[in-house]
Amino acid sequence: MITSCQSDLDQNPIDPDLFTEVDVYSNATQARGALAKVYASLAVTGQQGPAGDPDIDPSLIDEGFSQYTRILFTLNEITTDHAVVGWGDPGLPNIHELSWDVNNPWTKGMYFRLAQVVSFSNSFIENAADLAAGDNEVAAYVAESRLIRAYAYLQLMDMYANVPLVTTVSTELPEQSNRAQIFAFVESELTEIAGLLKEPLSNEYGRVDKAAAWSLLTRLYLNAPVYIGEDRYADVITNAERVIASGYSLNTADGNSNGTAYDELFLADNSSNGAQNEFIFVLQFDGINSQSWGGSTFMVHAPIGGSMNPSLFGVNGGWAGLRTTKALVDKFGYAITGTNAEGEPTAWSDPRAMFHTDGQNYEMAKIPKFTEGYGVTKFRNVDINGNPGSDSSGDHVDMDLPIIRLAEIYLNYAEAVTRGGAGSSATALGYINDLRNRAGAPAIQAGTSLTTDMVMDERSRELYWEGLRRTDLIRDGKFVTSTYLWPFKAGVSQGAASEEHRKLFPIPEDVLLVNTNLTQNSNY
Amino acid sequence: MSKLIKHTQFFVLLLLSVGVFAQQKVSGLVTDADGNPLPGATVIVQGTTNGVTTDFDGNYSIEAAQGATLEASYIGYQSLLVVVGTQDSINFSLLSDSELDEVVLTGYGSARREDLTGTIDVVSNDNFTKGSVVSAQQLIQGKVAGVSIVSNSGAPGDGANVLIRGIGSLNLNSNPLYVVDGIPLDAGGVGGSRNALNIINPNDIASMTVLKDASATAIYGSRAANGVILITTNKGKSGELKYEFSSRFTSFNPVNFVDVLTASEFRSAVQATSDTDFINRLGTSSTDWQKEIYKTAIGVNNTFAVSGGEIPFRLSVGYTNQDGILRGDGFKRVTGSFNIAPTFLDDDLKVNLNVRAVNTQNDFANRGAISSAVLFDPTKPVFDENSPYGGYYTWLNGTGTKLALSPTNPVALLDLTDDESTVNRYISNIKVDYSLPVEGLTATINAGIDRSEGEGFRYENSMLPTDAAGFNGSRGQYTNKTTNLLMDAYLNYKKDFSKSNFSITAGNSYQSFEYDNNSSNYTEFLNADGTINTATSLERSFIDKSKNVLISYFGRANFGYDNRYLLTATLRADASSKLPKDDRWGNFFSAALAWNIHNENFGVENVFNVLKLRLGFGEVGNVNGLGDYNFLTRYTGSNPQAQYGFGSTYYTTYRPAPINKDLRWEVGQTANAGLDFSFSKIKLSGTVNAYLKKTNDLIATAIVDPFTNFGTTIDANIGDMENMGVEVELNATFVETEDFTFNLSYNVAVNDNKVVRLQNEQNVGALGFGNSLQRHEEGKAPYAYYVYKQIYNEDGIPIEGAFADLNGDGQINNDDRYFYKDPYADINMGLTASFAYKNFDLTAVSRASIGNYSYNAISASSNQSQITNLGRLSNVHADYLDTNFNFFSDKNAVSDHYIQNASFFRLDNITLGYTFENFVEDNPMRIYLTADNILVVTDYDGIDPEITGGIDNNFYPRARAVAFGLDIKF
Repeated sequence: MITSCQSDLDQNPIDPDLFTEVDVYSNATQARGALAKVYASLAVTGQQGPAGDPDIDPSLIDEGFSQYTRILFTLNEITTDHAVVGWGDPGLPNIHELSWDVNNPWTKGMYFRLAQVVSFSNSFIENAADLAAGDNEVAAYVAESRLIRAYAYLQLMDMYANVPLVTTVSTELPEQSNRAQIFAFVESELTEIAGLLKEPLSNEYGRVDKAAAWSLLTRLYLNAPVYIGEDRYADVITNAERVIASGYSLNTADGNSNGTAYDELFLADNSSNGAQNEFIFVLQFDGINSQSWGGSTFMVHAPIGGSMNPSLFGVNGGWAGLRTTKALVDKFGYAITGTNAEGEPTAWSDPRAMFHTDGQNYEMAKIPKFTEGYGVTKFRNVDINGNPGSDSSGDHVDMDLPIIRLAEIYLNYAEAVTRGGAGSSATALGYINDLRNRAGAPAIQAGTSLTTDMVMDERSRELYWEGLRRTDLIRDGKFVTSTYLWPFKAGVSQGAASEEHRKLFPIPEDVLLVNTNLTQNSNY
Repeated sequence: MSKLIKHTQFFVLLLLSVGVFAQQKVSGLVTDADGNPLPGATVIVQGTTNGVTTDFDGNYSIEAAQGATLEASYIGYQSLLVVVGTQDSINFSLLSDSELDEVVLTGYGSARREDLTGTIDVVSNDNFTKGSVVSAQQLIQGKVAGVSIVSNSGAPGDGANVLIRGIGSLNLNSNPLYVVDGIPLDAGGVGGSRNALNIINPNDIASMTVLKDASATAIYGSRAANGVILITTNKGKSGELKYEFSSRFTSFNPVNFVDVLTASEFRSAVQATSDTDFINRLGTSSTDWQKEIYKTAIGVNNTFAVSGGEIPFRLSVGYTNQDGILRGDGFKRVTGSFNIAPTFLDDDLKVNLNVRAVNTQNDFANRGAISSAVLFDPTKPVFDENSPYGGYYTWLNGTGTKLALSPTNPVALLDLTDDESTVNRYISNIKVDYSLPVEGLTATINAGIDRSEGEGFRYENSMLPTDAAGFNGSRGQYTNKTTNLLMDAYLNYKKDFSKSNFSITAGNSYQSFEYDNNSSNYTEFLNADGTINTATSLERSFIDKSKNVLISYFGRANFGYDNRYLLTATLRADASSKLPKDDRWGNFFSAALAWNIHNENFGVENVFNVLKLRLGFGEVGNVNGLGDYNFLTRYTGSNPQAQYGFGSTYYTTYRPAPINKDLRWEVGQTANAGLDFSFSKIKLSGTVNAYLKKTNDLIATAIVDPFTNFGTTIDANIGDMENMGVEVELNATFVETEDFTFNLSYNVAVNDNKVVRLQNEQNVGALGFGNSLQRHEEGKAPYAYYVYKQIYNEDGIPIEGAFADLNGDGQINNDDRYFYKDPYADINMGLTASFAYKNFDLTAVSRASIGNYSYNAISASSNQSQITNLGRLSNVHADYLDTNFNFFSDKNAVSDHYIQNASFFRLDNITLGYTFENFVEDNPMRIYLTADNILVVTDYDGIDPEITGGIDNNFYPRARAVAFGLDIKF
């Protein structure tokens, strides 16, 4: 009896929701679920929607806050002239003030999120290797997983610079790598998998192809002066040309007939209204099947407040948090068509100026109050016919969020040209006018000499609130310096210079405690 | 005159005795330890048939030779031997069996108190705290040194956090093992249940035995890492049937509230912003929201028992029905307990059958109301006829629906939600002892089953204010089952030699624990036209199952010599399925020595009835509370709302689970030195213990480098911890006459707890927004607060955002945080005073806790942004009037300003009783009045200084209870 009992000590999971490698990697169909997790780790917050079984322990960051694009918005837009947030969650006011510390939940949350994306990718790449050997579709899965890992490392390098480079599943504490090493890895990976990914536009919507690899290379090379101190503008142009020739196209379908095809990019049906043709790497959300308190749910709810009517945005209410500063509003100064009694702008001929001005103050006296600063109406959970998204409760949003869209590649090309790359200035101007024409904004006169400042301002107008601004400002030398100030930069109402070390985020203290191989970024 | 005669006789006898063992007359008094005469006691000359009995006043007189041994004995008392010298008067003071011969449970057996070697406290029902007790833990609150019992909340039937000698583990279960009549209970309980110990009606409990040190607990091995509480229930005695009936009626009153701004203070605070947007949001009412959600609650408690019979049995039925002070909270319990102990084969085969069943029905009031009542704007009315949400005032947005992220009307939360559960649990075991043909050898088999089935139901009315558009109510249900099996088989062998005795126990144990939890929830949404939206009306279901197995071998040897020297050695091998194969088995041993000094001829026996020195050392393993399958590669599937889309299809995702292949046993080691004493001349007895308890290879949830695992945390062996302390228990009877007795019991425990080894510092004490308040670090107390040092102005008001630059580097950053206090008390005391005058009895039970600090989370989040943010108004703690803080910065949340001294003195209970003797024939009836939670003296500013873990946030306040009750026997 005792011997037979002892075999009882070998217990295996009896829970129907728990699986083993044998189940998950048994065939290509099952492996798709493991690949879906690699993508989903950028889109949802855990295995229960909208919350309840988080990927990241809630002691590190609240589950709702921990969604990738929500933290990305917080770290790359709220740190800049593009956005402020009024909520008082501890550590959040520090973001726009550029005064976060080593335990800030957002700087910490992003590190854990991206490192986890790397770990999930490593696991997939290793475990799917056998299946991939005999199955082209699984081979594509592996290449996609490598692309997502490369994207995670690109972001880690951009935000934290000196992170461990881990490409296998191992519990060994890794050594720290520097930007040059991460840069070399990302460059070689993207170059290699550009040959392994599916042909442009031949993959399912939501999955990446070769164009995503080339696009990420343009980002990598555009920022090479910051990352490794080298000028790689020629490589930006080469890769941008590949993307532009790949078949992706700007959305020009004005489905809701409001005079611009720009707003369709950020509607509930942007997976099918034509916007999808522009999306090179997009995260899918769904009001019923793919829920979280971040993602597009955050992008639609968080900016609604004051006199904004939530039903026009296809949701049940606003979270009264996000607004913008006059610095972004002023980027549209060239296109003002109406002002209020104080002479402050209220209407523009550039339809990308999607601001809510009614009851909002252009000049921001203090950040917490919602009516300070203009509201932003760029993201809406209605389709081209004005119908709300699939979640009739109005909580969760259908809109997908592009991580890379073609417009950015046009701008990357243009910027590389103005910064001394060997492309054509006329082509660059043409691309910018393509963007303006699509939006229905006044074009720049042909023959105008394009400057870097013009391109940077155009990036602001085209790509604001899409998670790129901090990187752009750093590249442009304006993030912490006094050469460019915006309201409440560094916590000062008129704006002030910040500290040089704020160009990097700190490695979370929790990680430094665990892995003593790591050294904190300077001055944290 | 008589004295003179006696003296004369003495001298005569002395003369006569010279050189001859002459018979002499010896006389004296036989009394109990308290000096009460024992009429009818026997005094004999050992080895002869010469014996007498004492008269009505306890006097005896007998002829005995010098050098002969007189033995005095009396039923229920321990016999006492005295050698006759030259004296003519010998008085005997007999110790009752309950002091020395009292049989004390030791786990898989029992021992006479005099033979004990471990640190064991027994609290019998005479000494239980007598208030409105519903949960067994409360019976011994404040009664045992080093045992801290803190109720989890003021909710009826709620559990308690019980710590024996401080926290012994960081993340594993730190609570003791409960063993009810030989069946170890599953600490986890079952979903829908408020408290694992609700299985027992406190009226059925005869005694609770606390095994404190590892030498006492070692026999229970890995389940006993944090001590053991053995619960013995009342048993029947053969004979005529006896009936008992107890009844109690209690009124519970809310007395503690969070100190928030009153309506007028709140108005002034909002007006002080001079911002018309905010001022325009003010209402005209004055609502004390906390008064709206708490009420006076009542409870009844009845128990009926019958016992006796030819084959001794006891049957009891109990009924408890108690409301909580949070409106809508309720607890109903029916307990049934049956015990029968037949014997066969001329008593060689003893069978003990216990069947215990309980049905509890819980109404869980929505506890969200507690925080909503603190936050809700006091200038708003409870009801507003214009509200689209059933007339409950609700913050609305421009379109007339609930303003997103605004608090929900707490009264609506209570009225419009329903959360009920029914839990049935039964524990049954059969224990068979068989005396084998070899003298002194007994075989025992104990087989038990502990099964719980809980089911619950949740309901939200369609009128409940929610952010969700078209919300038309929700309903959910869940079922939880746990099945634990136990099979113990062991042999006992006892052998007595002339002066020594020897016993050995050896056996094995198999236990399995299986959990099967299912839940589903349906939320209905309506389309704008009022029809049900089938696409979004969601049915969510969830299944959670797991099983683990524990197999153990154990052995214990006891050796006693001449009632003076005692030795116990224990060895236990445990294997748990929770650990990886190579590290699954743990061997744990203990040894203890005791010396009954009072049995030596040192002369101490003249001063002490008991003087005993104990030394022990032992170790036990721990994996209690550790999850199952941690060392296996597992993937968790996503639920239907967390799928991911490729193309237009959504797929279930598989997430690899965090893994730790290196898990091994957490091992607790305790060294204990103790002294038990009882004076013979004065009525003072007590115990002093000093201990060092070391926990090695602590298992705790530890943050990992996220590149090295799939989760952000794993359970891992991360370090060692130490508890060191001294405990003193004193029991003194100051007055004891026929009419009046006055007794005091006092205990004090001093405990020092620190982490002595740690792989790396761990930030803990998450405040719910990614910021941690506490830190484990080598050399510091676990859960020590790790905070910024607040700077104050000359009026002692904290300056917002101003913190001390402790490392002097010119900037305030994380390096300026420092360790400041911890949530656990340095000193705990308990004092029980008992008076009896004629038929009246009066007891008072009180406790004090010194050196525990709490974090006042509600005060910490009180700032102007909290009041005015998000388009609504929200109330704050009255501390705001002092600080006037604007924001909740990441540093402010972890300021030492909010770490407050929560030392307290609490008068737990006063009970006054009166006993009518011979109420039914010769049986008594007692009636009593009792009051609980009468007084708390503390400097702490939050709602209650006694909150486990020290983070004071949304605490369900403890009620003051006043009860009337009666106990009748017939």
